[in-house]
Amino acid sequence: MTLSVARRRIIGWSLALVTTIAVLVNQREIGIARDEVVYMQNGARYADWWIGLVTLQHGIDATQITRTFGGPGATDNNREHPPFVKTLFGISHRVAHRGLGVDEVSAYRVPSAVLHGLLVALVFFMVVELWGFAEALISGLLVMLLPRALFHASLACFDAPIMTMWFATVYAYWRCLDGRRWPWQVGVVFGLALATKHTAFLLPFALALHYAIVSYRAGGWRGLVLHRWRVAISLAVLGPLILIVAWPWLWLDPIGHIRQWLTFHTDHVHYNFEYLGRNWNAPRFPWHVALITTLFTVPVSTLSAAVVGAWVWIKQRAQSVDRARAPALLLGLSAAASIGPFLLGTTPIFGAEKHWMPALPTICIAAGVGVVWAARAALRFVESWRPLAPRWQLATIGGVATLVVLAAAVETVTAQPYALSWYNALAGGAPGGADLGMNRQFWGSSARGVLPVLAEHAPPAGAPPRPVYTHDASPAWGYYLKQGRLPRTLPDAGWEQAGVAKSQLALVIHERHFNRHDFMIWKSYGTVKPIFVLRAAGVPIVSVYQRSASPRVSP
Amino acid sequence: MSAIGEATSPPAPRRKLGLASIPAALLVVIAVWEIAATRCAATSVPDDAAWERAARAVRAGYRPGDLIVFAPEWVDPVGRLHLGDLIPLEMAARMDAARYGRIWELSIRGARSPDTRGLTPAASEHHDGVELRRYERPPAVVVADVRDRFGAARIEGGGRASLELAEVGFAPHRCIQVVPRPGAPTRVTFAQLPVGSELVGYVGIADVFTRRDLRIPGTLEVEIAGKIVASVSAGIDDGWLRFAVPTTPGTVDVTFIASVARLSPTKPQPDRLICFAAEARR
Repeated sequence: MTLSVARRRIIGWSLALVTTIAVLVNQREIGIARDEVVYMQNGARYADWWIGLVTLQHGIDATQITRTFGGPGATDNNREHPPFVKTLFGISHRVAHRGLGVDEVSAYRVPSAVLHGLLVALVFFMVVELWGFAEALISGLLVMLLPRALFHASLACFDAPIMTMWFATVYAYWRCLDGRRWPWQVGVVFGLALATKHTAFLLPFALALHYAIVSYRAGGWRGLVLHRWRVAISLAVLGPLILIVAWPWLWLDPIGHIRQWLTFHTDHVHYNFEYLGRNWNAPRFPWHVALITTLFTVPVSTLSAAVVGAWVWIKQRAQSVDRARAPALLLGLSAAASIGPFLLGTTPIFGAEKHWMPALPTICIAAGVGVVWAARAALRFVESWRPLAPRWQLATIGGVATLVVLAAAVETVTAQPYALSWYNALAGGAPGGADLGMNRQFWGSSARGVLPVLAEHAPPAGAPPRPVYTHDASPAWGYYLKQGRLPRTLPDAGWEQAGVAKSQLALVIHERHFNRHDFMIWKSYGTVKPIFVLRAAGVPIVSVYQRSASPRVSP
Repeated sequence: MSAIGEATSPPAPRRKLGLASIPAALLVVIAVWEIAATRCAATSVPDDAAWERAARAVRAGYRPGDLIVFAPEWVDPVGRLHLGDLIPLEMAARMDAARYGRIWELSIRGARSPDTRGLTPAASEHHDGVELRRYERPPAVVVADVRDRFGAARIEGGGRASLELAEVGFAPHRCIQVVPRPGAPTRVTFAQLPVGSELVGYVGIADVFTRRDLRIPGTLEVEIAGKIVASVSAGIDDGWLRFAVPTTPGTVDVTFIASVARLSPTKPQPDRLICFAAEARR
């Protein structure tokens, strides 16, 4: 099937629109993640600063820049993360919430949703040009139907956006290898990726190796220097330049502040994370964390098809498509650069798949190629017995593709809205993941699911408030109250022992290292009996306790 | 660009074509299995109605002092939701299960609680996925529990000691928590402790965050009548470690000596929270 450029564009952007809508619908059921609050609040201030600058309300002032984007402390004004996507969150908040009346949290999350749609479109555009329409459509749909990625795209955080910006850089780089005179696009997109998340610094490892291979192939040692040298210059010059332009804090001391930014991440504290039954909070981590986690968090059919696709790429490498630009090699290196650091045993593993999500487009593209290759191979076998009419050919390929996509869809629908507790069918779903001792969740967003239960225990208006011990949901509590999901008579009780002591209700978000919250509550409330346990596919994710009138003395 | 249904390869032998069609068949089988397995997994855990039926059966046969346990460990909150009123704090934060003669185990997915390991059920029932088993065995007879006598203990060496409900190895334990000064052991002495034929105890490092921040073990030594009879080095990932020493029935001074190494003569180091519990058993 040959499609005109216009039709390709219509289909690609339609996929993007559907994806964006799917994310926006999905996010309505997802609670606020702990760090998301920080990104939303800082993003609003960054946007205000930029809007103030372009509307000439203020100039460029070092003190004001520091107060908005920097500061002496390592986490002042969230300076440990670059501002590009946060600024988009802030602008979206102004436009969608203040301007159009969209609810506040959804407004902050719109850019992530749009960028996720963009990712699907870019995957479609690249694949349709290289391998064909069927492969492109399947690849795009499989990116859309990644359960964990859909969850992350539903938050105002960086993990889904960096997946998009990473892939956008790969796509732009591949396009710019066509010999164009001014390949500025790749530098700009790479700069925006750097201004999204520090993990973009891994991209040059993939691009440099790929560039070395294709340029050596094109012109030997001489080619290493002269083949598409403008692309390398664009990446090396425009990339950092765009990062600096997008981040006013760097204007004050580019080298020093970049060093501070990266030092924060190289010295980052290791958060607790459960993996295969053990709580990990210090290196050395098992080398297989990224591989096993990916094995359990990407739909099995997608992974299986990706194995077929990768095998096809390797087997047919001599006569591969677009051999001069070696796109399959580029995609493989992109995935390797993203996931590779987690094989070292020293890279922090908390957050798991969200940190190597840029590997996922490669998996989905390989899957798209694999599905179509496998279906065509089966078709040839059938036709060796009896030729089929074109509609039956189409039905054969469509049938295999539909089943693979449907399996991913079923996993994705099942996973939401507690996708961090979900594991694929190979792991046995959420219960299987719990049996295996895989991480239950993080960031506390599942607390949203117990808000109706807490609201039922709220005192009537005018009665004394009943403070709630919320631990990791604490940063989100203000938004939940503001959104009206909780009555004002259920304020946050505060942190740790003092918070528990002050509270009348308490919740525990179940992670292995959060068991201590249960024990603090038992001791203070004099009971081990929760009044409610929220479950994802039967697996406990949040418990709610209520202080009784006459607690027993403990310990 | 290739097209749907387009055969791009030259004609090949049918056997080879047959082999090449295996991936498609596998993908179809895997996808169908995944669709079914995903839905099955999502509904495979017993619901509240099943738990309520099992809980009713427990309540019908429950006697005060019976231990109630749940398996696997991750379903514990659901078990406590239905039967938590029958689980006092002391039981939830027990040293071990030896003093309980009757144990009710509610389990799902074929799991067993470590507390019933090696025991044969006296009775068992099935309640829509919740397996209820009752175990009966002669309980350990406790002559003295050091935690109950903590108020009379003598603490020496400059460290702190308190009775806590602490997290040790991610499990709750009611224990004596000692925070020794680095390089200077803290002694907790129980004078004239009644003992039977065995002193059984457990030790572990409390608090996940101090386990992360200070990655050296803590040591607990047991001294009876002036002689060290046991020494346990509890590492950060060791959990709740058992120790046992034979004793001669009577009364005797028992001292628990907790210590942690000093890493640097000048730099301060995080507290090492060494938690222990011990029972003198007949």
